[in-house]
Amino acid sequence: MLDIILRNLSQRKVRTGLTVFGIALGIFAVIVMGSMSENFNQTFETSFSLTADKIRVFGSSGVFGGSVTTGKAAEVRKVPGVKDAYGLLMAPLEEGGAMSFGGNQIVGLPPEKSQTVLGPVKVKQGRFLMRGDRYETMIGTSIATQYNIGVGDRIEIRDKYFTVVGLLEYTGSFFDATAAVPLDSAQDVYDMGDMVSMIFVIPDDGVDGDLLARRIKLSVEGVDTLSPSELEKEARQSLMIFSVITVSAAVLAAIIGGLSVMNTMLMSVMERTKEFGILKAMGAERRDILIMTVGEAAIMGLLGGLLGLACGWVVVYGMNLWLAEKGIVLFLITYRLVAIAMLFAILLGTLSGIYPALRASRMSPMEALRYE
Amino acid sequence: MNNAKADIILKTRGLKETYMQGKVPVHALQGVDMEVKRGELISIVGPSGSGKSTLLSIIGMLEIPTEGEVFIDGVEVTGVKVKDIPRLRREKIGFVFQHFNLLPALTALGNVEIAMRFARVPKKERIRRATEVLTEMGLGERLNHKPSELSGGEQQRVSIARALANKPSIILADEPTGEVDTRTRDLIVGILRRLSDGGQTVIIVTHDVWVAERTDRIIRLVDGKVEDS
Repeated sequence: MLDIILRNLSQRKVRTGLTVFGIALGIFAVIVMGSMSENFNQTFETSFSLTADKIRVFGSSGVFGGSVTTGKAAEVRKVPGVKDAYGLLMAPLEEGGAMSFGGNQIVGLPPEKSQTVLGPVKVKQGRFLMRGDRYETMIGTSIATQYNIGVGDRIEIRDKYFTVVGLLEYTGSFFDATAAVPLDSAQDVYDMGDMVSMIFVIPDDGVDGDLLARRIKLSVEGVDTLSPSELEKEARQSLMIFSVITVSAAVLAAIIGGLSVMNTMLMSVMERTKEFGILKAMGAERRDILIMTVGEAAIMGLLGGLLGLACGWVVVYGMNLWLAEKGIVLFLITYRLVAIAMLFAILLGTLSGIYPALRASRMSPMEALRYE
Repeated sequence: MNNAKADIILKTRGLKETYMQGKVPVHALQGVDMEVKRGELISIVGPSGSGKSTLLSIIGMLEIPTEGEVFIDGVEVTGVKVKDIPRLRREKIGFVFQHFNLLPALTALGNVEIAMRFARVPKKERIRRATEVLTEMGLGERLNHKPSELSGGEQQRVSIARALANKPSIILADEPTGEVDTRTRDLIVGILRRLSDGGQTVIIVTHDVWVAERTDRIIRLVDGKVEDS
């Protein structure tokens, strides 16, 4: 039956080609948008897994507002169940930049704690920050690539030069876009006085993070906490919205491709009315006609899916190469995405072919034979 | 159900077919009773609108009669379930059409072979059988030619080969010589005669008196009824 299906498709090369192209465009959109979503998801998953057990403490007046002082860390440290707590100052690396997921950032931290904060990430070259460091920094791979710098080079942050002493390994997380500097220096260059963005809390072994977060909130005046589960929930909601927007746009494009399959198949079925009559006169059963017609639609879906995947892969690969020079990774094609896109393409083709196929299979053979 | 005599391959009883043309009922067949013996070559003749093609469609199970029964090889084909009709059609009937109705994208071999696909005949056997019948039709050298590369006579011979592919009980030929010249007409009639002599039952609907005169028996239809001859 496959040879008949392929023969039928090759009989109408231009129309088949245009329909396949329509589906390919949709799948291309699914791949490009989906790979962006996959990249954000993976970055989040990795970032979260690297800091999953930590609690964030903020000033009760706002998040990332610098409205909590280093002094509060001492109070937090006294809460039972807290192993360690220290302030972190987080800010955009570039002047005029904004704190965003995936954007370059500096993290000001007590230099002797750099191994604890960045610990899950291995040092590719150089060393961690240490007590006594002042204008030294450890940088992630994205910043290293973007600024074309390595260990021993200097990077300018708000008119001050910091010497790179360590280069972090690539993780696919926000650490790749992080420059870690001593907290005092960060507070100086950003003119933050004693303020920090958050207090980073490490719970004692075996202590439930969510319970400890609640205890800190009750014990220390003027702070809010973000427990690991709350952080995950908030981040997942944001990711979900992003995913829904990107994937919906892509799915819409693909559905338009599916409608073009249905249109093509309806026209094709109408043009081949007589042929179906002949086949039925020869003893073709309804299922033969159904398989033949749905098969054509499914193959167009498959071809469109493969073409869309190939084009999407080329564009994503090219974009990633281009963005790599800027130290940004924006797209990630995963096996899951490929499987979903291909399944979607075939399903779309198949479903779009069902209605025309039913029409073809239900034709009265006599009426079909009389059709001119 | 076996209501037919052993040598009677086709029997119709009280066949009626009425369809609506707008609001006007048209009685295409008004009680057709006929019998055809195994291996007979018969022709159905009659003026346009007399019901010849309708009768052929009903015998070929392409249409269901309003009333009456058709028995083929002792099986009442008008009484079987709709889902069994394609199988019966494959087993019992081979069609030859006036306009050949070959699939233009397929070669002569492909057109004959495709008829056996629906009977789930294995590919090797399909090719062997298609080659055999086409060779019998004198088209052994034209197996891989598409219909557009064949003459009218050759196309009709492919059409006959296709009808024979599944070794049916009856061949129904609707104006098989209507589109060909007289030389080819002689050739086609000769082939159908040879098939009949070999035991194949053939029913021809024709306007051509010359053709009808060369069959074993003529059934004349007038206004949807068999006229006594």
